[in-house]
Amino acid sequence: MIEALNLSKHFKDKKRGKETGGKVIAVDGLSFRCQPGQIYGLLGANGAGKTTTLRMLATILQPTSGTAKVAGHDVVEQPEQVRHHIGFLSTATALYGRLTAREMVEYFGRLYGMNEADLARRIEELFTRLDMNSFKDGRCDKLSTGQKQKVSIARTLVHDPPVMIFDEPTLGLDVMTARTIVGFIKECRQRGKTVIFSSHVMSEVEKLCDHIGIIHNGKILSEGTLDELKTRHQLYDLEDIFVRVVGDSR
Amino acid sequence: MNLRAAGVVFRKELMDTLRDHRFLITSIVVPILSFPVLMLGFGSLAFVVATRATQQEQKVMILGALHAPQLKQRLEKVKNFAIVPEAADYTPRINEKKLQAVVHVPEGMEENLRAHPGQAQTLRIYHYEGELRSRSTVSTLRQEIRGYGDALVGDRLKGRGLSIELLTPFKFEQTNVAPDERVTGNILGLMLPYFVIIFTLTGAMYPAMDLTAGEKERGTIETILASPTSRADLVLGKFLLVLVVALVTTILSLASFAGTALAGAELLQRANVKFFIVISGKAIAAVFFMVLPLAIFFSAALIAIAILARNYKEAQSYLQPLMFVVIFPAMASLIPGVRLTTVLSLVPVLNVSLVSREIFSGHYPWDQILVIFGATSVYAAAAIYVAVRQFQREEVLFRT
Repeated sequence: MIEALNLSKHFKDKKRGKETGGKVIAVDGLSFRCQPGQIYGLLGANGAGKTTTLRMLATILQPTSGTAKVAGHDVVEQPEQVRHHIGFLSTATALYGRLTAREMVEYFGRLYGMNEADLARRIEELFTRLDMNSFKDGRCDKLSTGQKQKVSIARTLVHDPPVMIFDEPTLGLDVMTARTIVGFIKECRQRGKTVIFSSHVMSEVEKLCDHIGIIHNGKILSEGTLDELKTRHQLYDLEDIFVRVVGDSR
Repeated sequence: MNLRAAGVVFRKELMDTLRDHRFLITSIVVPILSFPVLMLGFGSLAFVVATRATQQEQKVMILGALHAPQLKQRLEKVKNFAIVPEAADYTPRINEKKLQAVVHVPEGMEENLRAHPGQAQTLRIYHYEGELRSRSTVSTLRQEIRGYGDALVGDRLKGRGLSIELLTPFKFEQTNVAPDERVTGNILGLMLPYFVIIFTLTGAMYPAMDLTAGEKERGTIETILASPTSRADLVLGKFLLVLVVALVTTILSLASFAGTALAGAELLQRANVKFFIVISGKAIAAVFFMVLPLAIFFSAALIAIAILARNYKEAQSYLQPLMFVVIFPAMASLIPGVRLTTVLSLVPVLNVSLVSREIFSGHYPWDQILVIFGATSVYAAAAIYVAVRQFQREEVLFRT
């Protein structure tokens, strides 16, 4: 489970924070809960605070105030424990080009402290499941975009984490590769994992997410299931709801 | 700190680095080839060019040759010399390299030499400054004129029943009592510390950039930070790789230097030039003892600086000026007057440069060696601390 409690992140940026003396409030007191076997979607425009929120959940960034519990561990107090229980995938997530697909996944398995026998078994299972055996010994920089994404997925799943964090994982991908990712996210839900997913693509969020949080200027403005959002805002299209919620906040 | 995790990072970085062609060229091929190419290649080329310059026909004009028939006769016998007829256009011909030198003989020179033996005659030589053949011709010309002068003086003394020995009251006999190791060490001690320090720095530079700014540029930094490896273990693994590369580059460079120097000595001995190279194992071990903390210092400092950059190119622009900061103190060993004092023992880089010179020349100032090792170790520890801190700073890792 993921539970964010009044999560905030401020940082200094002279360019972005001209009116506030260089201070930028990227995330402003965010609280939400994401249950196992569900996909929670953070829907927001660029710069809304999605990536910062997910980076705090992944303990890559430290919250300025507030905290979050991921798989029962506190992101501020037990960051290493949190990282043991998450799989993190984003568009920016690249691979080491000079390693082979197998070496890439092995490297991360070892970083997660897996022993060699378990790691070999897990790689065998994942490579078969994701149909990766034909390119397991190919260098990552020689793989196609779709194959690279499969390596990223295998790398994320190697330690079988209960919590999955996806930061705009389909951004810039072609339709077929994006479908692989979407299918993989659905599979994570089926396997009972807690999934948090950020996007600004309405259709993707509509199709995938059990719970949606509309985020703008670092705040969650409206939250609920798709049906709850439709009822609350008396609109039937997620895009319309998003525009109304964000527009009302201005 | 989890050494297993740091080891995992180190092994991966080693595998990744060994597959990188840029690394292999920068840190392995260039250090190995630079000495043979520079010393033997350019040395041989310079030798061939210089030899050819002396073996080619050298055209000499004697202005006022009728006043020095004996000198003219002597110069005509010089190998490769061609005495050309007098002409007024000698300046443009020298500039066009069609004529290598001109000797202007004063009027009535040989007659004056006989009539007024106590009066020196001034010979003026016209040449092309800096031009190889012209320089070689002038050198031979001066040698021949000096020989001609010596013969004249010899004849004069003989005519008066005196020996030429009168002009050389002293003869010298020199015997070297210093051991070969110290003789070689004095020469090597000037250059080697500089090379060792520079190679240690340049060896660490490429992997330090690739493992930090390169990781940001490739977008892999986020992935690795989301893994359970602590930032300290991550830095330790990367740092160990940079250190190993720095030391390997230094060892390869030195081996290449030693091999080239030995080959050069062998070639010189074949050409009957007395030259030998002797370096003691003790000196190498002692210098390595000095360089080790310096390599640690360089590796950690380079990581701490390179991680500030957003990409590889930016890292290069940060680290290039560092070369100049290091080059100057590293050059201390090349300056003969600079002595190792207690204060200088605490100045990073400069202290290692100076003490290495002492060690190579067979002098082991143990108290200063220990002070330098201690001081450099402290700087190295501080650099490691800063590098780890840099990896914990969000504004550094996610600079936009």
